[in-house]
Amino acid sequence: MPTQDEIYSKVSATLVEALNVDEEDIKPTSTLQGDLGAESIDFLDIVFRLEREFGIKIPRGELFPESIFQGDPELVQDGRVTPKGLEELRAKMPFADLTKFEENPEVGNLSNLFTVDLIARYIQGKLESGNQN
Amino acid sequence: MRLKDQNALVTGGSRGIGRAIAQAFAAEGAKVAIVYRGNREAADSLVAEINNKGGKAIALQADVADAASVQACVQRVEQELGPINILVNNAGVIEDDLFVRMKPEAWNKVIQTNLGGVFNFCHAVAFGMMQRRSGRIINISSVSAEHVNMGQTNYSASKGAVNSLTRALAVELAKRGVTVNAIAPGFIETDMSAPVRNKAGDRIAKFIPMRRIGKPEDIAKVAVFLASADSAYMTGQVLTVDGGLTLGAVAE
Repeated sequence: MPTQDEIYSKVSATLVEALNVDEEDIKPTSTLQGDLGAESIDFLDIVFRLEREFGIKIPRGELFPESIFQGDPELVQDGRVTPKGLEELRAKMPFADLTKFEENPEVGNLSNLFTVDLIARYIQGKLESGNQN
Repeated sequence: MRLKDQNALVTGGSRGIGRAIAQAFAAEGAKVAIVYRGNREAADSLVAEINNKGGKAIALQADVADAASVQACVQRVEQELGPINILVNNAGVIEDDLFVRMKPEAWNKVIQTNLGGVFNFCHAVAFGMMQRRSGRIINISSVSAEHVNMGQTNYSASKGAVNSLTRALAVELAKRGVTVNAIAPGFIETDMSAPVRNKAGDRIAKFIPMRRIGKPEDIAKVAVFLASADSAYMTGQVLTVDGGLTLGAVAE
């Protein structure tokens, strides 16, 4: 079972390849979209490479939950995530720290949740629960 | 050798425009996988011709309208030649009929081959090209998408859709160094156009400012440009190659 540092290191290397960014640009708090320039097509590539790198399976929507983005009116209203939507987020992303987002749950801010750190924590969770391929 | 060390896959590559494209690519140094549906002899003769000239070609049978057949085909090509850098979606069929009596089968066959085939092959190679941050997808469309004739509602619809797909896919893959373009040939001397050319005879030339029907090589040369590094900043375009046909001028 790799250490936290080893996981972070591998995640960082994966992002360097997937996003064509320099190692120096990647910090734990770097957001994939805002800081590292990722677009939806890059998310696909990231998931694929993480699966291969760590020997795990990442079901569609587990790492990057799509339901919120679909604009389901129960989950998102007037550009803000509803309480039901927040519940959904908590359930789908147990590895994420939502406190800051909950203070101002604008859909536009959702992308700030997706940091390098989040991915590392997600991977750690998967490996600890024995979810190997 | 503008395509040195590139691996190309050409559907409908055993005859007509596809055959000329395969030959042109091989002459430019590419290894070519020729995908055919039924005409094995033509495919094999082309492979022999290319290999004898010092190039490298293989032939595979697949039905472009069948996703599983296409996936299996692409896998075999990648095993034998390596990652596919250039995809030419050239396989196409016509089933002309006046619309009011066109059978559903004729509609479906043309849409599934001409459009579905493009989807299936693009889908099988796009992710890999995207990951490698380089690729060329070239769709062979037709002037009939815009410059329509009687009896071709299915064919025109399929090619119009190919043009739109070309643009939409170009947008998705652009960031990853994959260009997606189309060539819209006019009247070209192939088996597909033979019945019309036989019926119309010399009358066709009156509509073509260059006063001649195109040859498959005329299309192949443009395909080489699109496949090469020279077209790196060009994507989502439909290049009409028709000797001026669609400019609308009729001979005096």
